[in-house]
Amino acid sequence: MPAMSRFLTIFVLLLALAFGLELTPWAQAFVVTPWTDTVARVSGVLMRTFDASITTSGNVIGSSASPFAVAIEAGCNGVEATLVLVAAMLAFPAPWRHRLAGIAIGVATVQVLNVVRVVTLFYLGRWNERVFEWAHLYAWQALIMLDVLIVWVIWVKMAPSGTAQGSPRAAAA
Amino acid sequence: MVTPTPPPTTVARFTLRTLGYLPLTFFVWYFAAPALLYPAVLLVRAIAKLALRDIVRSVEQARATLTFMTALRPSGAVAGSVLTVDVDLLIYAYGLPLFAALTLAARERAWKRHLAIGYAVLMPCVALPALADFLKSVAITAGPAVASQTGFVAWQREAIAFAFQFGSLIVPAVVPAVLWVALHGRFLAASRHRGAASP
Repeated sequence: MPAMSRFLTIFVLLLALAFGLELTPWAQAFVVTPWTDTVARVSGVLMRTFDASITTSGNVIGSSASPFAVAIEAGCNGVEATLVLVAAMLAFPAPWRHRLAGIAIGVATVQVLNVVRVVTLFYLGRWNERVFEWAHLYAWQALIMLDVLIVWVIWVKMAPSGTAQGSPRAAAA
Repeated sequence: MVTPTPPPTTVARFTLRTLGYLPLTFFVWYFAAPALLYPAVLLVRAIAKLALRDIVRSVEQARATLTFMTALRPSGAVAGSVLTVDVDLLIYAYGLPLFAALTLAARERAWKRHLAIGYAVLMPCVALPALADFLKSVAITAGPAVASQTGFVAWQREAIAFAFQFGSLIVPAVVPAVLWVALHGRFLAASRHRGAASP
């Protein structure tokens, strides 16, 4: 099987498997919900450094100064973006040490940008509902996936040169 | 056949170019959406006519919103009324401006062909999640009184729920990125040769 086809096949299978597991009640209860609450809590801690009115409860971020609040739901908790990145790094032929380092740093990068997304969406929503909807539904979705792609491309570039053999990159070169 | 290698670039420069193109591609996408998404609308109509003729009477387009006129009665509705379901296609189509920005930023000679391939591949990726969204509305969200009229059994409702989740959370974001990688292997190779240690 050509290297690119092999990479894409493994990536799609891993992603479908990971996403299927994510939807199970067990994963929702023990991983996704606690993770989402953590994203809300971390965002709240960050926002309180410059806005003392911020409150958090579970997956909801609000403010004592405004009736506006946001609830972090599936698609906004960074879980799917993380699954995509991990699947792409596992599907690419690279030494396990490089994979694990890439997953650790890459997931951290995605989550940091996701917190930025949550914080900016909260203040956009307080300012203008239409702009909030636009940023929430379209712009930030694209930016998060761009982040995943760029992190993956950098990781591929930094892979030990021997791993280029049989990789999508080598096949295309 | 020998194809010319694209000029080397760094990931940082490529990222900045992509971020520069995104406002432009989003602008074009948003205001041209009714025309740009018309092939997806045709696909939705064709599938609805072939596979959902007992449920869907017609599919109307108003800008980027699809309205499914169903043959289903809303629960507690007056006699003669039917259920309509609106689906916003843009929610499933933001991959178009992302793919266009990535393709333009890569500056490959075949960028027009890549844009055409991307457009053709992404249309079903807009249509199918939109259909899954509609099916989720009538089979799950609208409640048991409406769901019972659809004739879907338990496993079919589970499949619809999975298709909706996969179609809304994964497909619109991942397919453009994967497609871009598949079409730009030479670009990735060229940027690698530019300097592995300095992204």
